[in-house]
Amino acid sequence: MGSILVVTEIQNGEIREASYELASIAQGIASGSGREVKSLVAGSGVGSLAEAFASKGGGTVLVADDDALANYNVDGFNAAIRAAVDEADADLVLISNTPSGWDVAPRVAAGLDAGFVGDCFRVEVEDGSFSFHRRIFNGKLDAKINAAPGKIVATIQPGAVAPFEGSTEGSTQPLSVDFPDARVQFKEIKTSESTGVDLSKADIIVSGGRGVGAPEKFPETIQPLADALGGAMGASRPVVDAGWLPHPYQVGSSGQVVQPKLYIAAGISGAIQHLVGMKASNFIIAINKDPDAPIFEVADVGVVADLFDIVPALTNAVSEAKG
Amino acid sequence: MKIMVCLKQVPHQDARLDVDASGTWIQEANIKFEINSYDTYALEEALRVKDDTESEVVVVSIGPDRTTQALRTALGMGADRAVHINDDEANGSDALGIAKILAAVAKEENPDLIFMGLMSDDGNFTAVPPMLAELTGVPHTTAAVGLSRANGTLTVEREIEGGATEVVELSTPCLVAVQTGLNEVRYASLKGIMAAKKKPLDVKSVSDLGLSGSVGAASAKVSIEKIAPPEKGDSAELIEGSTDEIVGTLITKIKELGLL
Repeated sequence: MGSILVVTEIQNGEIREASYELASIAQGIASGSGREVKSLVAGSGVGSLAEAFASKGGGTVLVADDDALANYNVDGFNAAIRAAVDEADADLVLISNTPSGWDVAPRVAAGLDAGFVGDCFRVEVEDGSFSFHRRIFNGKLDAKINAAPGKIVATIQPGAVAPFEGSTEGSTQPLSVDFPDARVQFKEIKTSESTGVDLSKADIIVSGGRGVGAPEKFPETIQPLADALGGAMGASRPVVDAGWLPHPYQVGSSGQVVQPKLYIAAGISGAIQHLVGMKASNFIIAINKDPDAPIFEVADVGVVADLFDIVPALTNAVSEAKG
Repeated sequence: MKIMVCLKQVPHQDARLDVDASGTWIQEANIKFEINSYDTYALEEALRVKDDTESEVVVVSIGPDRTTQALRTALGMGADRAVHINDDEANGSDALGIAKILAAVAKEENPDLIFMGLMSDDGNFTAVPPMLAELTGVPHTTAAVGLSRANGTLTVEREIEGGATEVVELSTPCLVAVQTGLNEVRYASLKGIMAAKKKPLDVKSVSDLGLSGSVGAASAKVSIEKIAPPEKGDSAELIEGSTDEIVGTLITKIKELGLL
């Protein structure tokens, strides 16, 4: 039997939480599938991180420590993962569905002629073979995907499961990797320029989505409720893509990840990438005309109605309550 | 410069999604289809290259007869030529199977650039672009939100987390998978639509590409067992009533949170 390989990811000098979530999945299905857990820690100067991960669910940790891995680059990480798959004799490779994960994982799969499943939230093992649960149609439907025997690469939605918190016996071993010339050259990271929109510190966020319908409706309808509550205004991706609001307003995996005390989603259907960015909010109120909108699954309170009936009335009521 | 743009025709984003009798896909009869939103930005980016450098833009799509409409739309927007892989043998292909078909087309076309969307609005797999790049042996990048070109080198800003971007450089031939919002997508003009009717649209089969027996359901390494509406776990407590009643309940909730 082969192994389950957890591909970790390093962010700001730490192994990120999503990697511990992969360890949790791997540990959960290892015994049922008769496979052991192995991991890859790839980066530059990562020896101590690898040691720590080995005792926190990583099992046998293969360590690729090289300057070529100092920043994410698809060529270097593809080579490291391929070397780890060979060394670990892995037949299930778990990679977080992050910007680097989705960039490299399918390339690894194609190079291995392996199956691929993207952005899964649950992995199951039945009779030694794997199945995967994931959303399709931007969150509107669930799909169960079965893998044929053979190698498979899966990316896992960050935050889908709780991170591994136990301790395990593990070990580390160096992994030798033949690095090709990097054909995709990393140049720099550009952080979003300061625009005065810092949603991460807001206690209350009122966000509007495609259902708001037009750019002028944001200052007319969404912003007044945010102002009345003393909160900030946010938006979903389609609003930003359409140019109705600039990018700093975007809440979601590719925008700002927020955790306010109160999040009000108006006219947002709830694509996964938006939910990832706001589902950790303390209390969520969703207002949407479509009763089947995925936003209602993460909301504490839902109102199936036209936001243009509810939001202005709520704004007035909040203003009155505040006197 | 030759640019290949891979398009997928997907159910319209407001289409009703009912599970079909097989339980593995949606009912496609009587719903509207459109070009995958991500792919429209890829096509636009290719047309922009063509606007300022003499280039040929070839659009490629895999799908049944209805896919012709997506390709004609792309030709109407300004693409020069279309290749339509229309073959039941492609049905049931997984992402790798689709990538193999597109790689066979890429081998025939030998493009300098391949542009496509980061993912499709239906499957949301994010899989085919890096796979196609691997199979064709070219470098790739994904989630492009900015792109500039000079002397065969592309500088791409790719979207990462927290509102930041990562700048990478790669040289042609290469593949770029684009994020939505990369540019402002043009509409097909009436003149463009008329001209599109005369533009070449080649229909090919899987065997024309030498792939008979190696793609489709039988070769797929992953397959959908079932699809269903998401389980309603701890879904929201729904508030009903008149607008005044709803607003009253919401105010009570906000007060309970200590925020009013």
